[in-house]
Amino acid sequence: MKNQYQPQSVKILKVEDEGSNSKLFTLDAPRGFSVRSGQFAEISLPGYGEAPFCLCSDSSLKNKFQICARNVGTVTKAMHALKVGDKVGVRGPYGRPFPLELAKNRNLLIVVGGLGLETVRTAIFEIIKNRDQYKKVQIFYGARSEDDLLFKSEYDLWMKNDIDFHLCLDKPTNKFKLSCPIIQGLVTVLFEKTSLAENPVAFLCGPPVMYKFVLKKLNKAGFLNEDIYLSLERRMHCGVGVCNHCAVGSFFVCQDGPVFSWAELKDIRGAI
Amino acid sequence: MWAPEKRPGEVVYAEVEDVRKVKLISEPPLHSFKRFLVPSEETLFEYKKDKMTEVKRAEKQVIFGINPVDLKAVVMLNQIFERDPWYQERMRRTLIIGQSLIPENVEQNLFQIKYEEDVLEHLQFDIFLEVQKNKYFVYTGSEEGQSVLEKFGYKNYEHIAYAGPIKEEGLDPMMVKYRDALRKTYKKEIWEEDIGARCIECGKCTLVCPTCFCFDIKDQPDLVGEGGTRKRTWGACFYNDFSEVGGGHKFLKTTAERIHFWYYHKFVRIPDQIQIMGCVGCGRCAKACPVGINIFKVLAAL
Repeated sequence: MKNQYQPQSVKILKVEDEGSNSKLFTLDAPRGFSVRSGQFAEISLPGYGEAPFCLCSDSSLKNKFQICARNVGTVTKAMHALKVGDKVGVRGPYGRPFPLELAKNRNLLIVVGGLGLETVRTAIFEIIKNRDQYKKVQIFYGARSEDDLLFKSEYDLWMKNDIDFHLCLDKPTNKFKLSCPIIQGLVTVLFEKTSLAENPVAFLCGPPVMYKFVLKKLNKAGFLNEDIYLSLERRMHCGVGVCNHCAVGSFFVCQDGPVFSWAELKDIRGAI
Repeated sequence: MWAPEKRPGEVVYAEVEDVRKVKLISEPPLHSFKRFLVPSEETLFEYKKDKMTEVKRAEKQVIFGINPVDLKAVVMLNQIFERDPWYQERMRRTLIIGQSLIPENVEQNLFQIKYEEDVLEHLQFDIFLEVQKNKYFVYTGSEEGQSVLEKFGYKNYEHIAYAGPIKEEGLDPMMVKYRDALRKTYKKEIWEEDIGARCIECGKCTLVCPTCFCFDIKDQPDLVGEGGTRKRTWGACFYNDFSEVGGGHKFLKTTAERIHFWYYHKFVRIPDQIQIMGCVGCGRCAKACPVGINIFKVLAAL
């Protein structure tokens, strides 16, 4: 019997600082490993344990993939001490990705808060590669401070590819001289300050509190529940739908998610 | 070989030292067979630096005397761990001998399962003893069971072909009733005002429950050197770190949310997943609960 829990040992190819307290790791991909936006992998550091990390790389990267880890727990702390050439264990990819095919020939609104940007970065690469397949693409990104911003060096590329990118910060200073529009406040403010595209699909990723407020705005703007997709964060141990740590209603976030439509979640207590 | 043994005030599963002393007991042991199939702690891998090597160390064992109520839990666990290499390896080395003595006390058979004609084809076992007045009928449920009996020189058995967990009449109406009630309604007076307020989150119900299988995986480094083991241990959704993620956020914040999660798992999620109830009605949780939470009363209030 194939052991679903067996990690493959892979080499770290590159480590880059990414925002405050986060690092972007480029890893050797195990054979047959492919990345779709919203999926995750279990990364394991023998002695420290295993934890789920969302995959955030360009899916056309050959034989490698990227994860971005903020130093908040046992595994991430140990990961931050690793260097190029060190090894980690990986199993996956797991989970249901964002449904990019649903957004084809339609407008797309992406709303992300904090580390949520990681889960849609793969989708952004994908959209840029096939830009003519999507109509208007908007990204609302909320973060606490400029120091926390992820993937700053890529915003210009996104905008150059006709992506309407907006940033919301608690205290904007523009110390990094970013060329994108920046406003002060929460992402919900943008629903009043920008004109939303007609009949769009929405991809969301952020903390539960963001979902509560953003969903209200989306419903008010006439988005259909089945056109709203959100990624859920949960504790996971097995990643294969058995341990039950990530259960939400009758779903397992690790297998049925982490991306769900709001139509699937709206009646489940405690989903957001 | 493990068999139920009567001790003062309790029935326990004990290792059999003298087969002649094994008795058939209708009262189920407070701690079920569960730990022989899903140990409270097991080693999954051994690691040395980056190398993670699978460990399989299941020993041959016989679990004797599981009653039809608890055999339903065996059926459930077999499905849950269908693709788990350690569980399957352990099952391969385990001989299960069931028996027909159903507890007379309704508190140990809440759903009032009866030993009827069609019960056996929906249960999984190797050998099953039907206890009659002064004799036994012997059934087999696997090739392993047949070959054990034949080697022993016994041929007068009847073989039962396993027909899956669901009866011909369709889904268990009791399962459907509880599933729909719990899925459609949230009664604050049960979860928040009654049992959520009383539960002290000791987790004893999850230990004695023959179907509670949630687990944690964690690494245990050796005291010296670069090696260690990756272990799987029983988890309990009553403990407040069950849903905690990096950064400290908990998705199940209150006792009420956690006890609701426990009930939802057994009576909605497992039925949705495999169409059978995630509770066999053995009543062990009610017996173990130090604050008197009784699953039967909770179900009646749903």
